[in-house]
Amino acid sequence: MLAVRSLPRVASAATGQPAISFGVQTRNMATLKEISVRLKSVSNIAKITKSMKMIASTKVTKAQRVMETARVYGNSATALYQHTGTSTNEESGKPLVVVVSSDRGLCGGIHSSLSKTTRKYLSAHPEAALAILGQKAKAQLQRDSRQQIVVTFDSVAKNLPTWTEAALIADEILKTGIEFETANIIYNKFKSVIAFDTVIVPVHSYKALLESPKLSAYEVEDPVLKNYEEFTLANTVFWGIAEGNASEMAAKRTAMENATKNAGEMIQKLTLTYNRSRQATITNELIDIITGAMAV
Amino acid sequence: MYRYATRVARPILRNVAARSYATDATPAAGKLLLNFALPHESILKNVEATQVNLSSTEGDMGILADHVPTVAQLKPGVIEIFSSSDKPRKVFASGGFAIINPDSTLNINAVEAFPVEDIDFDAARRAADDATRRTTSAPTEQERLAAKIELEVYEAILATASK
Repeated sequence: MLAVRSLPRVASAATGQPAISFGVQTRNMATLKEISVRLKSVSNIAKITKSMKMIASTKVTKAQRVMETARVYGNSATALYQHTGTSTNEESGKPLVVVVSSDRGLCGGIHSSLSKTTRKYLSAHPEAALAILGQKAKAQLQRDSRQQIVVTFDSVAKNLPTWTEAALIADEILKTGIEFETANIIYNKFKSVIAFDTVIVPVHSYKALLESPKLSAYEVEDPVLKNYEEFTLANTVFWGIAEGNASEMAAKRTAMENATKNAGEMIQKLTLTYNRSRQATITNELIDIITGAMAV
Repeated sequence: MYRYATRVARPILRNVAARSYATDATPAAGKLLLNFALPHESILKNVEATQVNLSSTEGDMGILADHVPTVAQLKPGVIEIFSSSDKPRKVFASGGFAIINPDSTLNINAVEAFPVEDIDFDAARRAADDATRRTTSAPTEQERLAAKIELEVYEAILATASK
């Protein structure tokens, strides 16, 4: 029942054609020709979504492997914050928000979840500056936060994420000359192949690090700390891209699997209607012939 | 040359460690836990080591357990890892950060690293010559600086070969 109700909607979204009602009991049945055209297009879509699912599945395993090492790297790079007890000083400077999304769609609520978290953060911190990776989040966020966007990047992580790419991005962000107290990296954290969490990970500026309560325990020179800030920004951006990529591929796989399943159900329904109406036409023709013959 | 520096550094650093031991009220872990990660590979994860030698921008350091907490930027150079169970490992790292935490964990984050025995020194020599040429002949200032950094890395690689 539920499937039937959702079918026409899916169909119209997928093909862009007006949904034809193919309820079995309806009188104004679609003609045979219409149904067969429809059937063909739906099976083509099913083929496409199925192959997209296959591609996404192979990419998930690869992306997951990259993500595992990136997570180890990111955790060990940011362990210093826990040891020094660095925290964000809300008043002292404006925060920078780095949204890590991508260019590709058809992967469920990945990108809108990022934009939602970002909007929520921006409403609490209206003075924040925005750096956006990927066209999807850019398209969604530039509608109401155009003024805050400082820099955007397209075609991030076209293949597998690399550290060099992340370092270049971090460099570009720093080149814009924005002074920030904390850079908040917003990305989708990979939980499992069916779940992700949108998280905000802070990268503290060296000023914030200098003010942290337990830094005095460490032997450190000022320029090293400044370099550390830049290095950590690159590392965390890389971590975010890697996790985001893995979550995106996993979500894409799930989305494509669902689409294939829906298309399959639709094909079944359409085939049934097609055969029924074919038979109905034959019966009608027979009746015509027989009544004609009897009248003679 | 490098050996000599670490040999000199070792007793000094041991003193530093001992001093921090007394002043800092950190619980004595007694052993050094090492995490050595690259962006695309984690080389060592929570591995117990007796000593780690590395070269930072402030000089060569030998790190033992209960070393004073430090944030150090790595120079291109060899990281030597000694552990009681394994034979010593020598890894060449191009740069990154080493952070010694109060709980005697050492986090090394490098950008790129290779075991010393995997390095082709002839290729390094050729690349060093090429980089030397570019330090003067490259068209822009930025490229010349990049070549200088490259040369620094290759020279560090070649320095490990001559030992």
